[in-house]
Amino acid sequence: MVNIEDLKEEARRVLKEGKVKYIIGYERASDSWKANPVFLRKPEDVDKLVWDPTCFHNLVRFLVDEKRRKAREKPADSRPVGIVVKGCDSRAIVILLQEKFFERADVFVLGVSCESSGVVDERKLAKKTTGKSVRKLDFGDKQNFIVTTDDGTMGIAASEVLADRCLDCIANVPVVSDRLLGGKDKRTVARPFHAVEKMESLSQDERLTFWRDQFKKCVRCYACRSACPMCYCEECVVDTINFAVSADTPAEEKAQRIKWLEKSPVDSENVFYHLVRAIHLAGRCIDCGECERACPVNIPLRMLNKKLEKEAKELFGYDAGFDPDQPALISCFKDGDPEDFIR
Amino acid sequence: MTEEFEPTIVAFLCKWCSSAGSDLAGVSRMEYPPNVTPIQVMCSGSVSPLYVFSAFNRGADGVLVSGCHPGDCHYIKGNYYARRKLALVKKLLEYVGLEPERFQMSWVSAAEGQKYTRVIKDFVNALKPLGPQTKLRRNS
Amino acid sequence: MDKILAKKDYPQWLAKLASYRIYAPRKKDDVWNYELLTDPDGDRLEEVMTAVPAKGIVFPQREFFFAFAEKDDNGAQINELLPEDNPVVVFGVRPCEGKAVTLTDLVFGGEFEDPYYWRRRNATTLVGLGCAQPPSPNCFCLSVDGSPHSKEGLDLLLTDLGETYYAEALTKKGKKLVLEGIKLFTDPKPEDRKMVDKIQADSRKKIRRELSLIDNVPAKLKGMFDSSLWDDESMSCIRCGICTYLCPTCHCFDMNDEVETVSPLSGKRVRTWDTCQFPDFTMHSSGHNPRPDKASRLRQRINHKFQYFVEIWNKYQCTGCGRCISLCPVGIDIIKVVEKVRDHGA
Repeated sequence: MVNIEDLKEEARRVLKEGKVKYIIGYERASDSWKANPVFLRKPEDVDKLVWDPTCFHNLVRFLVDEKRRKAREKPADSRPVGIVVKGCDSRAIVILLQEKFFERADVFVLGVSCESSGVVDERKLAKKTTGKSVRKLDFGDKQNFIVTTDDGTMGIAASEVLADRCLDCIANVPVVSDRLLGGKDKRTVARPFHAVEKMESLSQDERLTFWRDQFKKCVRCYACRSACPMCYCEECVVDTINFAVSADTPAEEKAQRIKWLEKSPVDSENVFYHLVRAIHLAGRCIDCGECERACPVNIPLRMLNKKLEKEAKELFGYDAGFDPDQPALISCFKDGDPEDFIR
Repeated sequence: MTEEFEPTIVAFLCKWCSSAGSDLAGVSRMEYPPNVTPIQVMCSGSVSPLYVFSAFNRGADGVLVSGCHPGDCHYIKGNYYARRKLALVKKLLEYVGLEPERFQMSWVSAAEGQKYTRVIKDFVNALKPLGPQTKLRRNS
Repeated sequence: MDKILAKKDYPQWLAKLASYRIYAPRKKDDVWNYELLTDPDGDRLEEVMTAVPAKGIVFPQREFFFAFAEKDDNGAQINELLPEDNPVVVFGVRPCEGKAVTLTDLVFGGEFEDPYYWRRRNATTLVGLGCAQPPSPNCFCLSVDGSPHSKEGLDLLLTDLGETYYAEALTKKGKKLVLEGIKLFTDPKPEDRKMVDKIQADSRKKIRRELSLIDNVPAKLKGMFDSSLWDDESMSCIRCGICTYLCPTCHCFDMNDEVETVSPLSGKRVRTWDTCQFPDFTMHSSGHNPRPDKASRLRQRINHKFQYFVEIWNKYQCTGCGRCISLCPVGIDIIKVVEKVRDHGA
């Protein structure tokens, strides 16, 4: 495991030197078993930092907020923002760099390697403790965790509560960093898309029923969109807000304006929203799993985004989030791109 | 005798090639089924996946995107981008259970009026047995 | 009217309620929600907290107001689409949700009654199930004038006595529900009442979290509009909307015209839930947005619940269910925020 004191030391140092505006990291509230995002501004705040398998959040999301905040800052502070990232999270930074969302100098990356472990999936854990509230989680050796609930303690094999995306992880070591802590051994996964392959093997009707039932649950809270670092559009397809309407705008024009989808959570509009989000993330989704984690009704969103990740790899040989100089998936092409589906 | 189902096809045709090709079919009096609602776009590369999803959401039974042959794009590279983007769209639609026959792409040049009619005829024949599209159609 | 029902007779009671549309908590993909029961056979009443609270039944996420259609010559036809008033019964309602409905009653009632809300509300019987243990680790109902066996807003309250339920009919609707299955019910004995009182008293001790000494909070909030506290507390907010969508007392909505055919023009006016946490909630048509940042939106949520509602109705607009705490993806905790307000400047 990464030595937390080393991480704290690095963080303390950069804050003392005034090198960064603040550092986005993880802390644990006194009465909580999970980590939460924390924003450290002073060297003494650094003691709040934690690093363990409950650090599941993708903090890169807050770099997007920082850009918006920066635009309103007076006077402007051009120092970078420090951020603690896991391997998966670091790929999000690469995507944002690739898309020129910010410059490399705007971010100071404290990379921490997950080594052979990963983060816990809260839902898997709840299942294991049969819904009893978790009071504490100890990570002992990395293979076995110890859960404390109101009814006592129980041992759990790590592999049973680690997030699916961690079990299939292809980026356990951060791919971009200013300081890197932890082991640098990269994991290999034999079949990273096995869940998608399983879905593909179902019949058309089975797939339709599966997705229809899932999208029926959607309450259009847009937590998936809000949690995703890559969903940074100022105006999203679903937010038709920028239509100039005056007293003289005729009803027919208002009725015919481009409204791609209705706000109502009906099946057809829900599926439209999710399809649009998935296609807009093609070649950009780095499987941090935040969308699925944030969803209050457990829609398996990773399974949707992963399909396009698989197609990007298999059709076009494209891997998202490793090379910031790579062009975006759909703004480049190869002469040999498949066209067997084109008449 | 029951009325045969006539599918509605929304076709995004690039102005310089495919739309011109469809015009050629027209002025040459070539017969082909009237099931197409053509929408002219400047380039197949400008067809956003949103257009395709929206067409299905509004009830299209089939969606066609047709552009210039690779190498002949009026804007040099647009059709290559279309080839990539729409490959992904096709895979995604199939994945969520839409019949794969409903979304098609073709390369039709301004001289290929005949090919255009064949593309449409075959498309209509492929859609007829599938019936009306209900899987993505807007419901209230 | 107090009666006893054996737990094993619960499905038979449901069977007698054929004239009602019955909702009860059901689990799907590890998430509990109120679902319409089509086949109550073998049902068990689960003591859980659903993700979407009971407000979704009297104030659904989507409802129609009216249908409009263009008539041949420049006219328009408008048909009001009032909701059906077929009787509905919801089982397994947590007392905090019952209390929350009394709060939304205030908003949709009073001088301007919302006919859509009230048609559903009047047709709905809420059967509460008291919380012998807190269904969530973040429950704090006692701190906001609630309790795990509160009767507010409910038509019938069931207390779990182990093998039986102690049913207290609180309103005419609740009584009617019991009468539908009266043969299954027996009269309680004095020791049953004693057990109920004990369970109800014990349940109060089990509530784990508290938000104490908040009498000064409404006044405090008034003076903290420009405080930097809001910026600090909202830093990790991702403005996803979960806290407000799933809050039993939140009731903001949006209205849209959903056009079905363009020529002739026809469609429906639809009401859907909305949330003050979305960035464009307060976007004006001029492009100005008075709440452009997360700090102002968090402030709005807290102020609405602990200041504005108190000023108008003399009640907190929070029933302590803890959903916003449990489901927030980044762990923003309303208890901690209000505590910071309470202690601000102290």
